Amino acid sequence: MNVIETRNLHKHFGELHVLRGVDLAVAEREVVVIIGPSGSGKSTLLRCLNFLEMPDEGSEVLLDGEVIDPARDDLDKVRERMGMVFQHFYLFPHKNVLNNITIAPENVKGMPRAKAKEVARDLLSKVGLPDKEKAWPSQLSGGQKQRVAIARALAMDPEIMLFDEVTSALDPELVAEVLQVVQDLAAGGMTMVMVTHEMGFAREVADRVIMMDDGMIIEQGEPAGFFANPTEERTKTFLSQVLHA
Amino acid sequence: MLSSLWLVIDMHFFAFLRATGVTLQLTAVSLALAVVIGLAFAFLKLSRNPVANLLANAYIGIVRGTPLIVLLMFLYFGISSIVVLTSFWAGSFALAIHAGAYVAEIFRGAIQSIDSGQHEAARSLGMSRRQSMRLIILPQAFRRAIPPLGNQFIIGLKDSSLVAFLGVSEIYSTAMTAAAANFKPFETYLVAGLYYLVLVLIFTVLVHRLETKLTPDRRAAA
Ligand SMILES: Nc1ncnc2c1ncn2[C@@H]1O[C@H](COP(=O)(O)OP(=O)(O)OP(=O)(O)O)[C@@H](O)[C@H]1O
Ligand SMILES: [Mg+2]
Repeated sequence: MNVIETRNLHKHFGELHVLRGVDLAVAEREVVVIIGPSGSGKSTLLRCLNFLEMPDEGSEVLLDGEVIDPARDDLDKVRERMGMVFQHFYLFPHKNVLNNITIAPENVKGMPRAKAKEVARDLLSKVGLPDKEKAWPSQLSGGQKQRVAIARALAMDPEIMLFDEVTSALDPELVAEVLQVVQDLAAGGMTMVMVTHEMGFAREVADRVIMMDDGMIIEQGEPAGFFANPTEERTKTFLSQVLHA
Repeated sequence: MLSSLWLVIDMHFFAFLRATGVTLQLTAVSLALAVVIGLAFAFLKLSRNPVANLLANAYIGIVRGTPLIVLLMFLYFGISSIVVLTSFWAGSFALAIHAGAYVAEIFRGAIQSIDSGQHEAARSLGMSRRQSMRLIILPQAFRRAIPPLGNQFIIGLKDSSLVAFLGVSEIYSTAMTAAAANFKPFETYLVAGLYYLVLVLIFTVLVHRLETKLTPDRRAAA
């Protein structure tokens, strides 16, 4: 069964037609990597999946096989089931690391404080930061911030994780520690959709690579074949640009 | 001159002490109200509802465009056929309505200055609009609003002197009365000024402490 699926997904920003009929289906435990040039609509696609952006009328987004109707369904409940990690972390600066992670389980799920702390501590060990629970976000490196952001999303026990260029704002030497956490998650069976420019990572971890251009999926396939023999001219151009950058 | 200054301080000590209490009451009541008014109008101004925007803009525009003394006189004498307010309450309401407009702009600016990514991160975790505002945006906005709010409160404290013209015995009106009686306006107004200055200094320290207390992360990072 597909954890998430879109059918004929369109999105306009005013006159600008950003998504032009995206059909995407992500199976349970599948790791899908999305690549494509700047402005091709990768972030918008992710943001439509959890309704941070409203898809156009007529588009369909399905979660666990059920069509989500923004007019009828409680979108807060829908978002609870999906974790999202952003390029710029967006940790809550007024909360320490532990409380960044506990705030949603406590307030959204009504989890008791003691239980939420236990969950948070467990996740902090998982992302390799067991000794940082009392630290403030302003005291962390970019890589540490991003790992806390991942833990924060995982604390809601999501069915799927959405990663939007989570290493793009990091110094090069901090990229590996974050990718390692994502890779561990994938190995643990987490379903995920990840927008990234890390082609090495895509090759190694992805089950499927999707190339987007101009609001459409123009090509996709399992990574070995995809990177060895891209068929679309635009994919070839894009890959030669990012691989030789 | 120093000796006559001491004389004035000594002679009117209890009058000024009582007056200081009144000034502080006026300030505290009006600014507490101003924070409530300000927060409400900040939300109206940020709302997507055009009627709410219009209401907020009208209020802020009118207060900005008129002197406080006019509002004071209006509330005390102008509407006395409709509601009769004591001079203390007419003064407090006028100060609150006046400061409320500026406080509204301070809150609006502070809320808008919070990165929209904070709200999106909160929503992505399943928080409602309301929860995101209450748990994520407002706490950060309040911290950011403290310095300009402190500034506005100091202005409010000093503006409370205008309530003297309604006959409330606060510091300034006490000085007027005293100067008329002791024929030492130089010393008397100097003393009144010193009272305000000391209050403002104390207040400045308190605001600074509050800011430090509310931003443990900034202290830790420094
Ligand atoms: N809120 C918005 N309002 C208007 N236009 C937007 C908005 N968000 C995105 N766009 C536009 O939609 C297009 C796609 O943006 P999107 O962020 O999805 O691209 P992307 O593929 O993620 O690019 P990048 O690799 O630079 O992150 C761009 O032209 C962008 O300017
Ligand atoms: Mg993007």
